[in-house]
Formats: sequence, C-alpha cells, structure tokens
Amino acid sequence: MIQRLFAPFALFLVIGFLIGPFLIIVAASFSAGETLAFPPQGFSLRWIAKVFTVESFRDSFATSMMLAIGGTFCALVLGIPAAYAMSRYKLPLSETVRTIVSAPVIVPGIIVGLALLRYFVVPFGIGITPALFLAHTALVLPYAVRVVSASLANLRSDIEEAAVLLGSSRLGAFFRVVLPNIRGGILSAFILGFVTSFNQVPVSLFLSGPGVRTLPIDMIAYMEIVFDPSVAALSSLLAFMSIGIVFLAERFLGFSRYV
Amino acid sequence: MFHNRAEAMALALPAAVFAAAVFLLPVILLLAEGFKSAEGWSAAAYTGFFSEPINQTVFWRTLRLGAIVTVVSAVIGYAAAFAIVNLKPGTKGRMIGLVILPLMISPVARTYAWIVILGRTGIVNQALQGLGLTDGPLRILFTETAVFIGLLQLFLPLMIISLISALENMPRDAVPAARVLGANWFQVFWKVILPLTKEGVVIGGTLVFTGSLTAYITPAILGGSKVLMLETLLYQQVSVANDFVSASVIALILIVMSFAANLLLKRVATARNNR
Repeated sequence: MIQRLFAPFALFLVIGFLIGPFLIIVAASFSAGETLAFPPQGFSLRWIAKVFTVESFRDSFATSMMLAIGGTFCALVLGIPAAYAMSRYKLPLSETVRTIVSAPVIVPGIIVGLALLRYFVVPFGIGITPALFLAHTALVLPYAVRVVSASLANLRSDIEEAAVLLGSSRLGAFFRVVLPNIRGGILSAFILGFVTSFNQVPVSLFLSGPGVRTLPIDMIAYMEIVFDPSVAALSSLLAFMSIGIVFLAERFLGFSRYV
Repeated sequence: MFHNRAEAMALALPAAVFAAAVFLLPVILLLAEGFKSAEGWSAAAYTGFFSEPINQTVFWRTLRLGAIVTVVSAVIGYAAAFAIVNLKPGTKGRMIGLVILPLMISPVARTYAWIVILGRTGIVNQALQGLGLTDGPLRILFTETAVFIGLLQLFLPLMIISLISALENMPRDAVPAARVLGANWFQVFWKVILPLTKEGVVIGGTLVFTGSLTAYITPAILGGSKVLMLETLLYQQVSVANDFVSASVIALILIVMSFAANLLLKRVATARNNR
C-alpha cells in the first residue's frame, strides 16, 4: 500500500530533478529581460535570435561541427578495420590492441588533452586546429571500435567466407557483403561519436587557443563574462539538436541496440 | 576465422599506432614527469604534493564528494528504478526515455541550469525569501552542496539505467515470495533485492564514482576556485602556476583512483557471490 503511493511520487521527484533544470533553461531562453532569470520576464525570441549574431558562437560552432564530423569520420576509418581484424582473425595481440585503442575512455579527458599538448603537439609543432582534430579522433576511436565490434559480432562470418569461396576477393567481400550488413552499427557509432565529440570539454581545454575554441568551451568563457540569456538560448537549441538526432537515429536505426 | 596474420596486423595496426602515438605514449610520458627529479627517479613530488594542506583538502574533498554522490545516487536510483520496472510497458518506455534524455544534453547546458536555480537571485533563494525562511540570499553556488547537486544530476541516469536492467533480470516472484514468507520491506531489500541486483549497482556505482572523480565542467562552473576538486586543481596548476609536476601527480592520482574504484567494486561483487 505504502509502496503504491510512494513509488510514483518518488519517480515524479526524480524525473523532475533530472528534467526540470533543462525545462528551466528552455523557459529562460524565451525571456524578454536583460539578465538570466526564472521565471522569465515576458516572452520574446530576441535571445534565440541573438545566438546567431554572436560571431564567436558562429566560429566555435563551425569548429565543433568540423571536429565532431571529421574526427568521428577518421575514427571510423581507423576503427572499422581494427574492429574487423579483431573479430574475424585469430590475432595474437587482439586484446592488447583492444586495450590500447579503448584506453582514452578510462583516462580522464583533461589528462588526455594535457599529455597530447605537452608530448605531441608542442614537440612536433602542430597547429591548434589539427591538434584538436587528433584529440577528438582519439576520443571517439574507442566508441567507434566498440560499437562496430558489437555489430560485427552479430553478423555471422560464414556469409563472407561464402563470398570468398565463390570467388570474391577478401576486400570485395568486405565492401559488398560485410559493410552493407553493419551499416546500422556504423551509423550508430557515428552518431554516438558525434554527440560525444560535440559535447566534449576537458580534452579540448588545454588544446584550445586564441581564436580557435570548441563551442562548449566558448559557452563557458561567455557565461563567465556576460550574464544574459543567450547561453540559455544556445543551450536549448543544441539540446534540441542532439535530442532530434538521437530520436531520428532510434526511429530509423534502432540506435539503442548498438550502444 | 581467417589466419593471415600479416593481413590482420595491417588492418588493426593503424588504429593501434594512432592511439599509442596520440594518447598512450604522451600520457605515460606525462605520468613519468612526476617521478623525475634532479638526481634520478624519486617520489619526492608525491610527498611534496601531499604535504600541502590545500592539496590534502582537495584530495579528500574529491574522494568524499565521489563517495557521497555514488551512495545517494544508489539510494535514489533503487527507488526510481523499482518504480519504473513496475510500470505498464508503454509508460515504462516513456519513463526510461525521460531518464536517458539528459544524457544527450551538453553537460555545459545541464550545469548552467543550476546557476539559474541556485544563484543569488535564483529560484531557490527567491522561494526561501518569499516564504520568509531567510532574510538575505543564501550562498549556495560555489559551495560543495552545489557541486554535489550538479554531479548527482549529471550521473544519476547512469545508475538508474544500470539498476533497471538489473531489476528486470531478477526473478519476477522473488519479492512476492519473500513478502509471503514474512519479510518486511527492509529485509526484502537487504536479503533479496540487493544480492540479486548487486552487479547492476556495482556497474552503476563504478560509472557514477569515476564520473564524479573525473568531472571537470561541474566543479569548474558550480564550485569555481572556492571548491576545487582534483580536475579543477590540475587545470589551475597548469594554467595559472605552470606547474607540470603537480599536474602529473594529480593525473596519476586520478587514474589510480579510477582503476582502484573498478577493482574494489569488482572485489565486492565477487566476495558477495562466494558467501
């Protein structure tokens, strides 16, 4: 009896705790007032509109998009063959490779960024943008390998062996038989990688430099100086973008099967 | 299974070499820096680090906050997961969706929301003053409480999700059976639910604890320089003091704590299994 009343109430509180702050941000971004406040003062779209006119937001959005799309693409180019080799060949070093490739997940991002800066970027004189690109690729690589591995594990290996026996080359079998069958897994890995990379802060913290910043870092810098609702507006826009992408992915790909 | 070793190596090597060059080697070199000194290898940097009271404070605060967030998220997580598991299938799916939703939103946006809620003119202070409970605004932002709330909101979904799948794998009639046999709710939880779902709580706990230890955005925005945690201390050491030796020490501490949390929780799980 107590449970019947208590459980829904507890759940209501928990969901409120998890979702409430997001709803407040959305409400605050429609405010007409000058400062960030809740309840919002009046209703307007001025802060939503302002987001698009702030030059640093536009630049850092472009940077983040480029890193998220390009970095994830490169991670997949590196990760798909590795995942394939580990699942289809008797590889003596399989576990070692898997450990090396998935290590960036275990180590805190800020350390990854600092180490990369100090022992790779500075010694080799790499620019800010390429350095960020390397970092984001390394960051996404573990997810790419894991998700693609999972979808390869679900694919029976005898169909490609059949293709090889029927005269296809190994490479041809991979592109014509394996790849079309793990398309969903690859796209899921891409989306997971994109969202991870786009929202990433600690890895990029030390690597960002004058003029080149990722969007989340730019937002943190902006909110430390200006206390207007434009960061709230931008946050809501980005949140709806992520939710939209994941929702579509779930609809058409069954995203959650792979992640 | 194919046996062509050269072919397999050619496929796996680029990824491994890339990860080793861009990530593994630099991290190892960074960690080694903390053990170097003028007269060879030593642990002087570590004794030096822990002899500073401020570093001790930050170290214990990070551990304490991580532990509290983990325990509280387990308690709330059980209540929420238990409620969700007992819902009708359609509602259950929607509730799980609502729990997962925050995970897709940028941590910056999620943390930013707490400024609106906990700030000097935030909702909590408005409410407290409106009710006449306090005279002036309370300082909630830039306290450990604010960091705790932010971390809890950030990582609670991971615990709930882990516990939902653990509870779903529990035999359906275990709880009713224990009730019929006369167990009270406390006994049901302690003797039936907890042992049957310990893997879920171990997985969730590891995710929440290591997440809290290594979070940067939340302590940076909600704690600022008043409530430093190891990650924000590391950032400060590098960007303000240019002290890479301390940074290396903190890096190793963070990595060791994450690994230790994993091992400890695994040990707890197997120990309970063998009893």
